[in-house]
Amino acid sequence: MKNPCRSSGSALFLTLISILAITFSLCAQDVRNLPPVSRSYAITKVTVFQGPGRKLDNATVLVRDGVIAAVGQNLAVPADAVIVKGDSLYVYAGFIDGLSRVAVNKPKEETREKQKDPGNPAPEAAGITPYVDVRALLNPVEKSIEEWRSLGFTVGQVVPYGGMLPGRGALIYYNGEATDKMVLNPTAGLYSELTPAERMYPATILGVLAKWKELYRQATYAKSYGGVYAANKSGLEVPESDRILEAFYPVIDKQIPVIFKAEKSLDAQRVLALKSQLGFNLTIAELKEGWDLIPSLKSNAKIFLSLELPEEKKDDKGKVDAEKKKDEQAMFPDSVEFKALEKRRDDFIALYAGQAAAYQKAGVSFGFSTLSAKPKDVKGNLKRMIKAGLSEDAALAALTTNAAQALGVGDRLGTIDNGKIANLVISRRPYFDDKSKVVYVFIAGKLYKVNATPEKAEADKKKEKP
Amino acid sequence: MKYMLTKALLRILIAGFTAMVITVSLYAQNTGTVLIKGGTVITVTKGTLENTDVLVRDGKIAQIGKSIAAPANSTTIDATGMFVMPGIIDAHSHAALDAINEATSPVTSEVYTGEVLNPFEIGIYRALGGGVTTIHAMHGSANAIGGECETIKLRYGVKDANALRMEGAPRTIKFALGENPTRVHGGGSNILPRTRMGVEFVIREAFAKAKEYSAAWDKYNKDKTQKGFRGAPPAYSIRLETLSEILKGNIIIHCHSYRADEIYSILKICKEYGIKRIVFQHVNEGFKVAPELAEYGAMASVFADWWAYKFEVYYSTAYNAAILTRNGVVTSINSDDGELMRHLYHEAGKTQKYGNLSDEEALSLITINPAKQLGIESRVGSLEVGKEGDIAIFKGHPLSVYAIPMITIVDGIVRFDRQKDADDMRVMIDPKEPLDAVNIETNTDLSDNCMKDAEEVFYNLFELK
Repeated sequence: MKNPCRSSGSALFLTLISILAITFSLCAQDVRNLPPVSRSYAITKVTVFQGPGRKLDNATVLVRDGVIAAVGQNLAVPADAVIVKGDSLYVYAGFIDGLSRVAVNKPKEETREKQKDPGNPAPEAAGITPYVDVRALLNPVEKSIEEWRSLGFTVGQVVPYGGMLPGRGALIYYNGEATDKMVLNPTAGLYSELTPAERMYPATILGVLAKWKELYRQATYAKSYGGVYAANKSGLEVPESDRILEAFYPVIDKQIPVIFKAEKSLDAQRVLALKSQLGFNLTIAELKEGWDLIPSLKSNAKIFLSLELPEEKKDDKGKVDAEKKKDEQAMFPDSVEFKALEKRRDDFIALYAGQAAAYQKAGVSFGFSTLSAKPKDVKGNLKRMIKAGLSEDAALAALTTNAAQALGVGDRLGTIDNGKIANLVISRRPYFDDKSKVVYVFIAGKLYKVNATPEKAEADKKKEKP
Repeated sequence: MKYMLTKALLRILIAGFTAMVITVSLYAQNTGTVLIKGGTVITVTKGTLENTDVLVRDGKIAQIGKSIAAPANSTTIDATGMFVMPGIIDAHSHAALDAINEATSPVTSEVYTGEVLNPFEIGIYRALGGGVTTIHAMHGSANAIGGECETIKLRYGVKDANALRMEGAPRTIKFALGENPTRVHGGGSNILPRTRMGVEFVIREAFAKAKEYSAAWDKYNKDKTQKGFRGAPPAYSIRLETLSEILKGNIIIHCHSYRADEIYSILKICKEYGIKRIVFQHVNEGFKVAPELAEYGAMASVFADWWAYKFEVYYSTAYNAAILTRNGVVTSINSDDGELMRHLYHEAGKTQKYGNLSDEEALSLITINPAKQLGIESRVGSLEVGKEGDIAIFKGHPLSVYAIPMITIVDGIVRFDRQKDADDMRVMIDPKEPLDAVNIETNTDLSDNCMKDAEEVFYNLFELK
C-alpha cells in the first residue's frame, strides 16, 4: 500500500481535487436554489374538486405568487404561466394532518441518572417542558416529509416528542424548506399526552392528572398576580419568572388550545374531565376508540380521528396468518370458543374502521391525524373507512375543510378558491379510486413532482434503455 | 317590573327543565324497576322475612311485603326458595382502576383514583358474580399518605367512567403504615420514611404543613375582600388542599395498618388534629387494641383469615373480626383482591366458625358495616324502603358453603344473572390483544392488591430487573 501523503506532490494534487470538488458542489447547490422560472402556473383541462361536493369538469386552476389566482372553465392562460397539463387529472385542496411528528427531530435516548428523590424530579426529566417550541426541533430534510407529501399532505400540525407536556406545536408546510419557511402558524397549541414519567413522579396517570391540574391552577394564580404587579409594582413582592407556568398563559387566555393525544376511549374521557374542570380550549387528536364519545365530544373539542386502524385479519388463505391461527387454535381445542372470540375481535375492528362514518352520521365535524399511522397504510385505511360508510365527500372534508377550520386556517386553506393558499393535490384518477396516484403537489404555490417509488423508478429506467 | 319577573320565572323554569333533562339523560339508563317475589328476605338491619316480595322502583326500594303487584314496565324475578340480601359492599378493593399506586413520593394526597376509573375491567363483572354491588376503589399502600379513593357502584356495562361513581358518597383517602411505605421510600429511595417512627413523622409533618397552608389561604382570602388589596396568593398545592380537607373533617381516612403499636400511634395523631373519622384497613392486630378503637369510634376492615404474607402480618387470628365486633368496633371484611372479592359471603361465614357471630352479625360485616365505613349507610347496606335497590339473590343461605349467587341487581338493574351468563362479557375489546391472551386474566384482575405498581417501582429502584 502506497501512502499518498509520503509524496508532497500527490498531497498537493489531492488538495486541488478537493477544492474543485467543493466548488462544484457549491455550484450544484446554487443551481438547486434558484427561484423557479415563473411563480405563475396554469393547471389546464383538469377536473377540480374545489371542495367536498364541489366538482368542476374541464377547468383551469391559475396559481400566482403562492395563492390561487383563479379557478374556472375557459380561463385565459397568462403568458408567463408554467402550464401543467391536467388532461385526465384530478385536483383537490392540499390535505391537512391534525397531529404528526413529520420533520420533528427525535431526541436522543439518554440513559437517565437515577433520581435521588423520585418524588421531586427535575421537570425536564419528568417530561414537563411545555415551553419547548417545536420550531427549534424542525428538520427540513427529514425524509418522511416527502413520504407524506406524496400522499397529498401539504400541511400538518406537528408537535415535539416527550412526556406529559412536551411543548408547543406548530402548523407547518410539508415543503422541506428552511425552518422558518416551513411555518404557517408558529403557536398552534400546547401539546400534551397522558404519559407518565419513568421511575419518577408522575409515574402513573394518577400523578399525571394531578400534576396537570396543579400546574394549570398555579399558572392561573401566577398570571393573575403578574397582572396585579404589572399594574403597580411599588411595594409588591416581585413575581418569579417560571417558563413552565408561563407556557400555560396563552392557554388560559384561550389564545391557543391544548392539543391532547387521546387514542382510547378512557384517555379521551380523562382529557374531557380535565377540560371540564379547568376550562381550556381542547383539541383531541389521534382518537381511535371514540365511537361512543360523540355526544360528549361534539361541543367540547376539535376532533382529529386517527388514520391508523387495527389490521384487518386476512382470510385463511394468507400464509402467515394461517400459521398463526393454527397456533392460536392449538391453545383452544374448543374451536367454538375460538371462533366466538375471533368474531368479537372482528366486530371491534369494524367499529374502529366505522368510527369516522359514525361521526359523519352524527353530523359532527372531524379531521384526520396520522401520529401513529404509517404512510403506506393511509390510503388503504381511508378506503376501509369509506367501505364502512364514510362518504368520499366527508373523507375529503376531513382531509381539507374540516381540518382547516379546526386549526383556525379555514380562511386560507381547505378549498380551491380564489385567494386561498395554493396547496393542491393532483392525482391520476380520482383520489379515492383504487388505482389513483398522486402525481403533483403544490405547496404555497410551489410545484412538487411526486417521484415514483425507488423500485418503480428503477424499473422505468430499465425500460427506457433500448 | 312585571315583565322582568316573568322573564326571571321563565329562566328558572328553563333552568329547572334543563336540569331535569340532563338528569334524565345521564341517569335514566342506570336505574330500573324490578320486583323480586317470594324470597327469604334478609334485611340485615330489620330481621329476616320469609316468603316476602321486594319492589325496587326507579332504582330505589319502594316496598317490602307480601303479594306486591308488579308495576307496569317492570322485571319480575321469582325468588321462591332463594335468599334475597343487600348487595355486598367491599370496603377495600383496587378493581376498576387503571392505576393504583403513585409510589414515587411518601405523600401523594393530590392523586385521586376516581380520575382513573376503568368501566371496562372484566373484574367488575366477576365481582357482581359474587353478589358485590359497591366497592371502595382505593389507592395503594406504597405511601404513608396515598391518594384519594372512590366509592363506586358496579354498573358493569356502562362505557362512561363517571357512571361508575356513587355520586354523593363521602370523600375518602388512603393512608399506609409499616413495611410498605418504609420499604418503598426508605429502602428504595433512601428517603423518609425508613422506619415506623418515620411514617408517623411523615404524617404529622404533612398535617402540620396543611394547617399552615389552610391558615395562609384563609388569610389571603380574607385580605382579598378588603378594598385595594394587592398581595400575592400563597403557593397553590393540591396535595395540601386535600390534606386541609382531612383536617376539616371532610375526608374519611382509610389507613392500611397491621401492628397494634402503630395503630395506636395514629389514633394519637388523629386525636391531636381533631380527626374523628378513621377506618383502619387490614388491622390484623386490631384484636389487641379493640377497646381503644371502639372508644375512639375508629372502625376496622379486616381479612377473615389471611396473613403471614410478610413479616408484620404474622401475629394474626381468624377471631379478629369477632373480637373487634364483640368490643363494639364497626367491623367489615374486605377482599383487597379480585378473586377474594367474588366470595366475600364465604369470608363472612368464617366468623361463625371463629367467633360464633350470628347470621346478622356475620352478614353485617359485608353489608351495613362497610357502608358505615364509607359513609353511605343511609343509602345502601341493608334492605329498607327508601334505600337504593342494590340486591344479591342467592340459592342457599349466603353464609352456607353451598351458597350460589344467582342474580345481582344494582339500582334496580340486573347486572348479573347466572342464567344469562354469557362466555364473553367484555364491554370493550382491543383488537390488538392476541386471542390466546383473552379470558385468562387481565393485568389488574387477580393481582389488584395494595402493592400493585409499587412492587414495580421498588424493583426498578433497586434495579432488580
